[in-house]
Amino acid sequence: MNQSEWTRRAFMYTAASGVGAAATIGRAPNVFAAGDDALKIWANPGVHQVGSKDWSAMAAQGGLKLAATAKSARADEAIQKMVVGDGNKLFDAITDNGGGMEDAMASQKAIVPLDTSKIPNWKNILPVYNEGGLAAHTIRYEGKVYSTPMISNADSMAYDYKVLGFHPDSWGMMFDAQFKGRVALQNDFGPTLTNMGIYLKETGKIDIESPSNMKPDEVKAVCQFLIDWKKKGQFRTFWDGFQNGVGLLATGEVLLSSCWEPIQIIANRKTGDKADIRYGTMKEGHQTWNNMIMLTKGGRARGRDELYYKLANVYLSPWFGARTLAGLGFAPQMTGVDEYIKANPKDFPPDVQARVLDILTRKNNRFAVKGNAWQNVFPTHMRAYQDWWSRLQAA
Amino acid sequence: MSSIRRGRDISAPSVWWQELFGENGLQKWVFYIPVVFFIMFFAMPMLLTVVWSVFERTMFWMEPGFTLFAYENFFTSARAENYVFSMLHSAVAATVSFAIGFPIAVFVRRRVAQAAQHRVILLFILPFMISELVRVFAMRPVLGRNGVLNNLLIDIGIITEPMTVILFSPLGVVIGDVMSFLPFMIFAGFLALEAVQNYIFEVSDDLGTGAVRLFKDIIIPLAAPGIFAGSVFIFVNAMGLALVPTILGGPGAVNAGLIANQAIVALDFPLAMAISTIMILTLVLLLYIGHRLFDLTKVLEPIS
Repeated sequence: MNQSEWTRRAFMYTAASGVGAAATIGRAPNVFAAGDDALKIWANPGVHQVGSKDWSAMAAQGGLKLAATAKSARADEAIQKMVVGDGNKLFDAITDNGGGMEDAMASQKAIVPLDTSKIPNWKNILPVYNEGGLAAHTIRYEGKVYSTPMISNADSMAYDYKVLGFHPDSWGMMFDAQFKGRVALQNDFGPTLTNMGIYLKETGKIDIESPSNMKPDEVKAVCQFLIDWKKKGQFRTFWDGFQNGVGLLATGEVLLSSCWEPIQIIANRKTGDKADIRYGTMKEGHQTWNNMIMLTKGGRARGRDELYYKLANVYLSPWFGARTLAGLGFAPQMTGVDEYIKANPKDFPPDVQARVLDILTRKNNRFAVKGNAWQNVFPTHMRAYQDWWSRLQAA
Repeated sequence: MSSIRRGRDISAPSVWWQELFGENGLQKWVFYIPVVFFIMFFAMPMLLTVVWSVFERTMFWMEPGFTLFAYENFFTSARAENYVFSMLHSAVAATVSFAIGFPIAVFVRRRVAQAAQHRVILLFILPFMISELVRVFAMRPVLGRNGVLNNLLIDIGIITEPMTVILFSPLGVVIGDVMSFLPFMIFAGFLALEAVQNYIFEVSDDLGTGAVRLFKDIIIPLAAPGIFAGSVFIFVNAMGLALVPTILGGPGAVNAGLIANQAIVALDFPLAMAISTIMILTLVLLLYIGHRLFDLTKVLEPIS
């Protein structure tokens, strides 16, 4: 992927709701121009599409026609469109975050349960999705499968190895006095409080039952911890948006930053020899998350099930998994990706193989950490998260 | 009374289309289009904002009801504190914009040839041709730790360590607001001064009025409504535009717009509406005070 491609993708990935909405409105007519035999999807092209600059490779791989409309990553936008808006009229399938969005959509009957026997590659799905627990819950509502996972990751901390000279393996490094004013956190209470909750729980500093779904007093304790450090000047800023996150690391403004892995990958590419930005494995754990694709109620009413299953089959194929791993470093959701990469040297030359398999190994190491906690888009005590986050902002 | 108007006998029977589209038909309603536009796109949205702010929050939306919980939540959480800080930063940005922008407006009005004044003022529109996002983001490489400004100051020996207070700080937000909205002060200041007749300056010169007294006792009072209008414009934009604190602010920096935006992201629509209502009330109060002090109807009136 070249830089111009990346810029376009990154822009879509980080697009605010206005951009997403504008894209939706602006491109809506194209949805219908594609004809009735196409699956109309509302998806994030920067993250959910591989193989070519548009959706053609994905469509060819699945043997179907796709009419895609660009979507931002904002949960509020998706909920409004699908629950109280015209999303079901416009789209047959939509993509979004697991761990909350599928519950929200299913409880409001905006999406429908799936028959996984119609997705041949479902047999390849990572075992964790069939073993119960939170990972399995991210694609289910009331015990039924409502979504197909496509990518996931365990968010961690990026750091400049060239300056540090060592590999941090704990979130605690963010609170080391030597890095005062050189630390950044994500400006989003979901991932930031979850990761900090994991750190404080695993180090025994605060009793937290579930960092994914903290109680009000637990949220308060985590935020007060961060407020103390904010007042000491430990944080340079809280980043918001992809390019913002890349810029902080690439310009040397910060040395440590909790961030998405693609931010580290691109920041490292941008810095060249000036820095060595790496992505660590935190011994306490990480917030894990996934993205998934869902069949809408409108899609089922229009008889688009078979087309949906074809696309879901692509998302669970090693063909997709290998490419999303090589491109943005997202974790594949199926087994057999390493074998696929090794068996396709034409698409994955030896140097690319080595790099991609290294990412996969480190990713697997992160996923294996015991303290990991899954993303929860709608925690039970959402109000406490909101209120305490505003206190952290005001501090 | 004559029944002849504009050479036409209006007492003569007219055909149906004249009745429908003539002065007594649709034509007279044309003048109400702006009123309809105002009601549809200004009054109604504002009214709905107020109404929705007292609705009950549901899990993903809101339902009709009456509760002041969103307001209570606003004032009892740190949001009110954030809002006040946002007002403070915005007021500082408006003041700095006045200090820089108004002298530019005075200079153009008094020193640039009359024929060229409008062209010079139009030059200040040029920055608006570039996306706001790009303009604000472009300040990062200038103000950053390893940015142009720090490198320059280190190179010429003024500082030995990079200044970190100019980016990711309240000062960074003020700098961003001033850079973004300065032209509004220049436009408003120039328009206000344009309404001041030239002979007022000439008489002042003839009477030997010094530059400071001319500025303080003549220019400022005469241009006060325009200065206030420009200041309000900057203040409101600095309060509402989320881009600047997001890109240039410190850890968790917010303004009023961002507080409302974050409430929407958390699907707390009544809270977002309550914050918007408070913003509207703040603006109305500000305009009322301004009108009492400066009579804002004078903004576009020539001063004789």
